[in-house]
Amino acid sequence: MRILYHLIVLYMTIQLVWYLFREKNFWKQASLVLVLVLFLLRLFLIE
Amino acid sequence: MKTKHIIAGSLLLALTLTVGFFSGREFLSMRQDDEIFPSSGLTAKKMLSDYFPALKDTAGDTEVFIFDSAAKGGNLLIVGGTHPNEPAGTMTAILLAETIRAAQGKAVIIPWANASGFTHSDPQEGSPQRFFLETPAGRRWFRLGSRVTNPVHQWPDPTIYVNPMGQKLAGIEARNLNRAYPGKATGYLTEKVAFAVMALIQKEGIELGIDLHESAPEYPVINAIVFHENASELAAIAQMELQAEGFEFRLEASPPNLRGLTHREWGDAAGIKTVLLETPNASHGRLKGRPTISLIVDGKDKYYEQAARLGRLFVPYGPDGIPLKLRVARHLAGVRAILASFNELEPDKAIELADMPSPADVQAKGLGPFLK
Repeated sequence: MRILYHLIVLYMTIQLVWYLFREKNFWKQASLVLVLVLFLLRLFLIE
Repeated sequence: MKTKHIIAGSLLLALTLTVGFFSGREFLSMRQDDEIFPSSGLTAKKMLSDYFPALKDTAGDTEVFIFDSAAKGGNLLIVGGTHPNEPAGTMTAILLAETIRAAQGKAVIIPWANASGFTHSDPQEGSPQRFFLETPAGRRWFRLGSRVTNPVHQWPDPTIYVNPMGQKLAGIEARNLNRAYPGKATGYLTEKVAFAVMALIQKEGIELGIDLHESAPEYPVINAIVFHENASELAAIAQMELQAEGFEFRLEASPPNLRGLTHREWGDAAGIKTVLLETPNASHGRLKGRPTISLIVDGKDKYYEQAARLGRLFVPYGPDGIPLKLRVARHLAGVRAILASFNELEPDKAIELADMPSPADVQAKGLGPFLK
């Protein structure tokens, strides 16, 4: 169950990073980063 | 031009990783256990998982300190940290573990009952992660946790939580240890912790249980002894003793239809005499100003003062606030009075704790001088 949850969070994180580099508007990139940091924390802190 | 957004993306990603690293480090620091230096009266140190092995290597496992006199008497359980954002309960349990010696009977102390709850703070409260006290050996830090289990350890919350006794509660209460009794061996982590405490009560032959809490000054169940009906006489005698000492306590009967709480299920399921003590804590109330270390330790808050002037509180609250040393002194006085009352009612199961700091001394000098 935990591995599945990790995989879901990892998938969403990769999607966010992918869109971070595709997005051309700086302010949209900056907004995306606010979400990305939470996903990274979730990804690495989950037990 | 084409690479401009890639450069911006790379810089923002680097910023994200930096922010993530430093915030992650802060979060992880909460998983470092507080230190405790038990008194020489300690006879055994166990883990909660010794009573329920399924808890081993989980965030719910926690230390259990046993002070056994080997002299015939009763068995006492003192629990702090059921709610890790109620520091007077935890600190009283730590103070007792660092000072007492059992002269008759046995005392079992769990300072951090919901160990997972100590690994995070309540979201959106801005509470400090720790507070400190000056002791003879220097400054010691103690964690201020959350009321409930860390969602990193128990997730997701159900929409409606049906506790082991069938009571329907809000989903977040699935992580509240004081709604999870008598626990469930195959349930949520919090229910497993409650199950382990029930197993401890059975295996250690506990006869009297005291659960130490705090509540917000605007909450009516405050400065109170909440008792299971099998401890009504015990609580009434203790209240009279406390009043004679100058500590005002009100008596609150445990509602029979409010299930899952220590003062209900320890009495119903394990048949032990059970009381829960409440002191007033401004740092987790809703009317507080900025939550600071000083608010936890000194207990001063101008907004609570204003609320008291408007008659909105259930306890007196003046410019001196309600400091931690007073709240711990109240708990110590409560424990002492309950023990005296228990010994009077059950002389053949008497429990005597020696070297316990006096409430008056703790109130006058603070906790620091009594800690190691």
